[in-house]
Amino acid sequence: MLQCHAKGCDDPAKNFPLEISDFTKEEIEAEKNKDFLVRMLPKLEWNALYTTAVKLGITGLPETLPSDAETNDEFLSALHTVLLEVHIKEGKMTCNGCNHVYPIKDGVPNMLLAEHEI
Amino acid sequence: MSTKFLIHFAQIHTDFRIAELESLARLNGINVDLHKGSPDLSSPYLVVELQSIDEAKKLIERSILVKEICEYWAEGKTYEELFEKIKQNPERNMLYKKDSFKFNVDVFGGSNTEEEKLRKINNFSFLPFKGPIDLKKPNQEFMVYENYGDVDSPGGRSSEPKVIYFGRRIASSSRYEMIKKFTLKQRKYLGTTSMDAELSLVMANQALARPGTLMYDPFVGTGSMMLTCAEFGSYTMGSDIDGRQIRGTAGYRKGINGIKANIDQYKLSHRILGNVVFDICQNPWRAMDLYKDSGWIDLIVTDPPYGVRAGAKKLGRRNGTVEDYSFKIVDGVENHKRKDYYPPTVAYEMEDVVVDLLEFAAKMLVVRGRLVYWIPTVTEEYQLDDIPIHPALELVANSEQPFGSWSRRLITMEKIREWSEADSKVYNTNPADSENSSRCTSSTSLSGLPNNKPSPAHRNFRARYFSKFIRQDSPATPADAGN
Ligand SMILES: C[S@@+](CC[C@H](N)C(=O)[O-])C[C@H]1O[C@@H](n2cnc3c(N)ncnc32)[C@H](O)[C@@H]1O
Ligand SMILES: [Zn+2]
Repeated sequence: MLQCHAKGCDDPAKNFPLEISDFTKEEIEAEKNKDFLVRMLPKLEWNALYTTAVKLGITGLPETLPSDAETNDEFLSALHTVLLEVHIKEGKMTCNGCNHVYPIKDGVPNMLLAEHEI
Repeated sequence: MSTKFLIHFAQIHTDFRIAELESLARLNGINVDLHKGSPDLSSPYLVVELQSIDEAKKLIERSILVKEICEYWAEGKTYEELFEKIKQNPERNMLYKKDSFKFNVDVFGGSNTEEEKLRKINNFSFLPFKGPIDLKKPNQEFMVYENYGDVDSPGGRSSEPKVIYFGRRIASSSRYEMIKKFTLKQRKYLGTTSMDAELSLVMANQALARPGTLMYDPFVGTGSMMLTCAEFGSYTMGSDIDGRQIRGTAGYRKGINGIKANIDQYKLSHRILGNVVFDICQNPWRAMDLYKDSGWIDLIVTDPPYGVRAGAKKLGRRNGTVEDYSFKIVDGVENHKRKDYYPPTVAYEMEDVVVDLLEFAAKMLVVRGRLVYWIPTVTEEYQLDDIPIHPALELVANSEQPFGSWSRRLITMEKIREWSEADSKVYNTNPADSENSSRCTSSTSLSGLPNNKPSPAHRNFRARYFSKFIRQDSPATPADAGN
């Protein structure tokens, strides 16, 4: 859901998704809500979500969005984990457009820009 | 068939209570007219008509400003009149013949000694209640409410009750437990502008926080509303320009893990998705570029920086140019790449904050999603059209918390249709700003306000707050605002 927002870095194919590296992750159990996931489905850019999940070493998501996504419980449960339960504790998010590195510290990404980027 | 119920309010934040109940009615699909006979805010009692006891329970279950709801039996100017009316419904009185029971006398604007109360209760002995009196766990609880009026009631306070109500208690609200749970006194991590428990809860109600929805606070600070919205079932997330607020490395009770300490305290980690550090004026939300589609946030609940206590700021330099300083090499590294680099900020006027917030909400909310936020106003100059408007957002409620010469108002808006490109042209009078949707309003031009009116009551609020609200008739320049 987060993209690079530096000035001039506006190629939507490159400023998203940010590439996560040097990370430690944790899973925090989240409440399940099927309706919510179904409602989010059309808002997701599947390819970006899939490649990011793979980077994070999470298997279980299919490469393409299944046609029965809304009713496929196994799929929804994998999606639930990726969207709501996996948290990056420490790491870096790098923009493929301008190479800006956004650090993640104590589970909180820092996405402030430097002044020449605004 | 509708039945009458009597609502007993906590006599506080009276300008918020009808709005709160309307939100709760909406949340539960209840049809109720809360404006019958123009409700008297100086009285803590309100008679409403509902379809069932179940509706009555649902309506107030989550309420913060209601204490309890009763099945309405009668009212009178005197006890004689009250008793006459109660006797007119013998079938109903007989329904509780065998139940254990208890009576309560609740007095507003006056006082009763325990003996007086007992004497008054004994006068109800004409009722056919044969069950045992049980003060701890009665099957039925009957409420006698005496209203003596208050100093600000019509006619002032009197020595005899102006009206006495009688009813059977149906349910209590969550007021007591919820405020107790979220009170700042017990809160692990606090900042100087943490929102108090009661109002954070009311805000969650105004926003219709509920399971399966996504809540966002773009000025999250120590996360007060993120906690209460999560309590009511929403998934929540926040952001702030100041990472120290989120992480808790500065401020009041510091060094205890920031918002995370609060999430753990209230055991809400299953609903709180996370926090990110950024300036809402340069926000990285992806959907900003995809806004042709509908938004994806269900509720935005926030206390924007007024610039009074929490300095309102945004990234940038006063004259808008990038200074060489940023590229200076410090310890062999370009300054802006250093770990502790914190970009310079400029003052962010309240008026601009609000304009930007509305535009952001108009894009990012789902249709029917709500924006709930505070705006400060100077009491003497306030006019209804000081409240900013947006063509995609409808004003749902505007509740005032007065502090004498100034007030803050809780504004509730609902997105009524998709945002469209044309909106930002109408709404945002500064053409440079509409080019890039994730950039904020950059001047104190009267953007977002119709027909260039001189000075909305929140304009340059900070400067005027510190100058004790002396009216500035000449339009302030951005330079006034920073100091
Ligand atoms: C009134 S406080 C919010 C307090 C919060 N409701 C709480 O309970 O702790 C306003 C917050 O806005 C933040 N802020 C100020 N300017 C900002 C900006 N341009 N973008 C994002 N956050 C900003 C401040 O750091 C501050 O934490
Ligand atoms: Zn970039």
